[in-house]
Amino acid sequence: MLLPAVLAVGIFAIIPLIGMFALSLTDFHLIKKWDQDIGFHNFVKLYNNKRFIASVEVMLLLSVFGVFFQVVMGTLIAVGLEKIIPRWRFMRGIFVVPFVVPAVAVALIWLSLLTPTLSPINDFFELFNITVPPFLTTQYGAITAIVIADTWASYPFVMLLILAALQGISSDLDEAAALDGATKIQIFFKITLPLLIPALLMVALFRFIETLKHFPLIYIMTKGGPGRSTQATNYFAYIQTFQNSNVSYGAAIAVFLFLFAAIISFFVARANARINDA
Amino acid sequence: MQLKNPVKNLFRATAVGVATLLAMPTQAAEEINVVLFSMSYTQGLAKLADDFEAKTGIKANIEVVGQDVFENRITLTFTGKTDDLDVVHTPVIQLQRWVAADWLQPMTKSVEGMDTKDDILAGPLDAYKVNGEQWALPFFAEAGMMAYRKDLLAEAGYETPPATWEEVLEAAAAIKKDGVAGAAMRVAPGQGFNMFVFPMIMRAYGGKFFANYPDDLTPAINSPESLKGLEVYSSLMNDYGPPGIGNFNYNEVAAAMQTGQVAMIFDGTAVAAWTLDPEKSQYADKIDLAPIPTGPEGRSPAIAVHGLGIPAGAPNPELSFQFIEWATSEEVLTKIAINEAFADFTRASVASNEEVIAKYQSIHPKFLDLKVQMLGDAIGHYRPLLPQWPQLGAAIGENINAAINGLMSNEEALAAAEEEMIEILEE
Amino acid sequence: MPRQDRNPRRLLGILMMLLFFGFALLPIAWALILSFRPASHLFEPIWQSPTMLTLENFRSLLRSDFPHALLNSLVTAGTSTVLAMLIGVPGGFALAKGRSQKRFIASWALLLLRMAPPVGFVIPLFLIYLNIGLLDTWLGLIAAYMVLTLPLVVWSSWTSLAQIPDELIEASLLDGASLFQSLVKVVIPAARPGLIATGVLAFLIAWNDFFFALIITRGNTVTAPVSVMNFVSYASVDWGSIALASVVLTLPTLPVIIFANKYIVQSMGGAVKG
Repeated sequence: MLLPAVLAVGIFAIIPLIGMFALSLTDFHLIKKWDQDIGFHNFVKLYNNKRFIASVEVMLLLSVFGVFFQVVMGTLIAVGLEKIIPRWRFMRGIFVVPFVVPAVAVALIWLSLLTPTLSPINDFFELFNITVPPFLTTQYGAITAIVIADTWASYPFVMLLILAALQGISSDLDEAAALDGATKIQIFFKITLPLLIPALLMVALFRFIETLKHFPLIYIMTKGGPGRSTQATNYFAYIQTFQNSNVSYGAAIAVFLFLFAAIISFFVARANARINDA
Repeated sequence: MQLKNPVKNLFRATAVGVATLLAMPTQAAEEINVVLFSMSYTQGLAKLADDFEAKTGIKANIEVVGQDVFENRITLTFTGKTDDLDVVHTPVIQLQRWVAADWLQPMTKSVEGMDTKDDILAGPLDAYKVNGEQWALPFFAEAGMMAYRKDLLAEAGYETPPATWEEVLEAAAAIKKDGVAGAAMRVAPGQGFNMFVFPMIMRAYGGKFFANYPDDLTPAINSPESLKGLEVYSSLMNDYGPPGIGNFNYNEVAAAMQTGQVAMIFDGTAVAAWTLDPEKSQYADKIDLAPIPTGPEGRSPAIAVHGLGIPAGAPNPELSFQFIEWATSEEVLTKIAINEAFADFTRASVASNEEVIAKYQSIHPKFLDLKVQMLGDAIGHYRPLLPQWPQLGAAIGENINAAINGLMSNEEALAAAEEEMIEILEE
Repeated sequence: MPRQDRNPRRLLGILMMLLFFGFALLPIAWALILSFRPASHLFEPIWQSPTMLTLENFRSLLRSDFPHALLNSLVTAGTSTVLAMLIGVPGGFALAKGRSQKRFIASWALLLLRMAPPVGFVIPLFLIYLNIGLLDTWLGLIAAYMVLTLPLVVWSSWTSLAQIPDELIEASLLDGASLFQSLVKVVIPAARPGLIATGVLAFLIAWNDFFFALIITRGNTVTAPVSVMNFVSYASVDWGSIALASVVLTLPTLPVIIFANKYIVQSMGGAVKG
């Protein structure tokens, strides 16, 4: 029964993947002539490219902070839904809504919200003579802006997973602790949170790998700016491939990203195998 | 360059098994596929597709996509040399790159055989000559233009718009108050974004990209003249621009003017379309147009030319040319100029058409004259016409943007830009 | 339960939830407002002209190729989801009930495929499609979306099906059913919530795709997310239509996700049972 799936994955996914690796070893350029030069020169070039190193830093900043806020916010909302307003079940559906807004729309909505001359947020604070600092024109502001937009779109994923994990935790423990006189806050930190750790780890790793692929947010909100300060690695690969026509160099960057994600997914897979075999 | 190489064979080999099952029906002979990106003219042309069919019996499938979508798709489409594309939107700024990559086929003979060739404006037409061949026919030539708020300038004591960039700085300083900025321009990084407007100031102060284009292509952007230009641009944006200017693209510039948050904007001819249409612009009746200001080295309005070319893979170039000739004819350009809000045109006969003149005068009495004047002042290589320009422009634009946003000093930005230009040209 | 309902801490908790609620919904409210605003009043504070509303954006949306693109999106995302379910669920079943040595490799491989960066992927895909004539076809787009949906479906149905007790399957096998029959008659009905969730997530991923469609479609099969970008033209950025298109793009998936979220929670429970 596995065979159809293996075949389909092979045809639809493995072939382009092999193509990606093959391209990364060539010097295929859309405009320049073909040199038939095959080898690892693109990777050597990458290793010595300051812009590439900088792009990895930006990528890590975006991923680490993005995942941190998504996980914190998703967890707080899940716990809040379960423990603070357990009777308002319809709120669950409402909190999921940003999850279904397509990435292109997320980027466009947040672009208009973070452009001071267009934003209702700025208009609102103007009423009280407060000036909201411009986000998209400083390096860390622009990174913050992307992190905010990504957090908005992705916290529901964390929330859903943590809700699931919370429902797997028996309420007997809570009740026993409550009888011993523990406050709800104590119960949360001493009992619930430790039990959530496997789920938290799993969802954080999942989200981390997804954030490595950031594209529409950067492409629409900052174009990689100000300067180059939001050119994360995936966007840098896009620039090399489409703007500079250097397809093989772009493919080499994609291979790097793929290998990087491979290492992280190794840990996800191991965590998953343990949980499933437990 | 065609993929006559191991990679292509690899893909052929892997793909061949599935291929037989999935072959697509070939295209009917009397159809023509045209891909354009969205602007007044192209939208107007799409509406006239039936006219072409009525006239020639050939069905024209005109696809108009967003500029971003177009740019991402088109290079790959060319790479494949697909034969299902007959006419393609060809911006002058991409021409050298496309010609160097063999993505277009020349139309020199067909153009020379046209009766009405002399009617086409010489500047835009010549912009499509590379290596002695004609590669496209122009339908759009836009030059830099300024739009300003008469009321705000009058309040600050200016009865006429500032004529030099120095005066623009002074006026901007005098105008700036709570909620109203002095000036706005594109700052977002990109060869079609800040690099469309920044050279207007840079060149006015005598700055240039190369030592002596086109004979000596030694990068020379790191000069005292360019620095002066960058300082003016930076001061104008940072000291007198609206909040968040460092990420503004043309749409934010337009919106700022439409909503009364800025007194002066400098961009392409499109400023008229953005600001004078009361449907879009709340202060349309208070807005006037003016020439691009001058500097110590004169005036250098931005220029952008768009045309229609024939992709290298087009199976029937005569048919393609037939469409292009029709689409850039006096009849069609006149129709679009009258139908669309602010369509551009590239034929002298259209500019002297009474109906067209009347229409533009009713919107703005000076617009047509001003446009002709700006086109006359613009230099063809405002943005250097080189195959590497898209990459060069992006690199320079990113450094200029970094300077405006204070990530590096103006001096550092120009030095970095020059260094990267050298690297790109050496590659 | 101890009585803490009037506790200031609880109030603080409710306040926190309200803040999150605002953060979650205000951007959507803003998109809704933009959808109904005329171009001339798009960016002025809503309290200055609360009655300036228009349906013009609907008309411009209907005039554009957006409805056609919406149909393309529905067909391709829908078909690829159905196909991925047909192929992927049996695969997930085999993994869930098969020998456990395979599992680690399989789960790693599945994750890896989920992670492959589209920028690297799309060029080989384009070149292959070019040679076999799949560019700008529904078939090509559906196949590309299988790359996105299939690993997810296998992974996710695997965790759902792992929760079905082996006894259930053994019982049906003893009754003389084949393995495949017992999958269809016993296992799938029992795992329905998880499988619904899997399908919803797969559909969402394909529905939201921007990059693949950008590169491998043209006029005939352009999808809705790409078509939204066509409202950005040089003469103007039609924010009203963009906002409206974004709202419309969200609508088909919205009821599904609101009603299916409890299934998603249940199915994810399998992945994180702790």
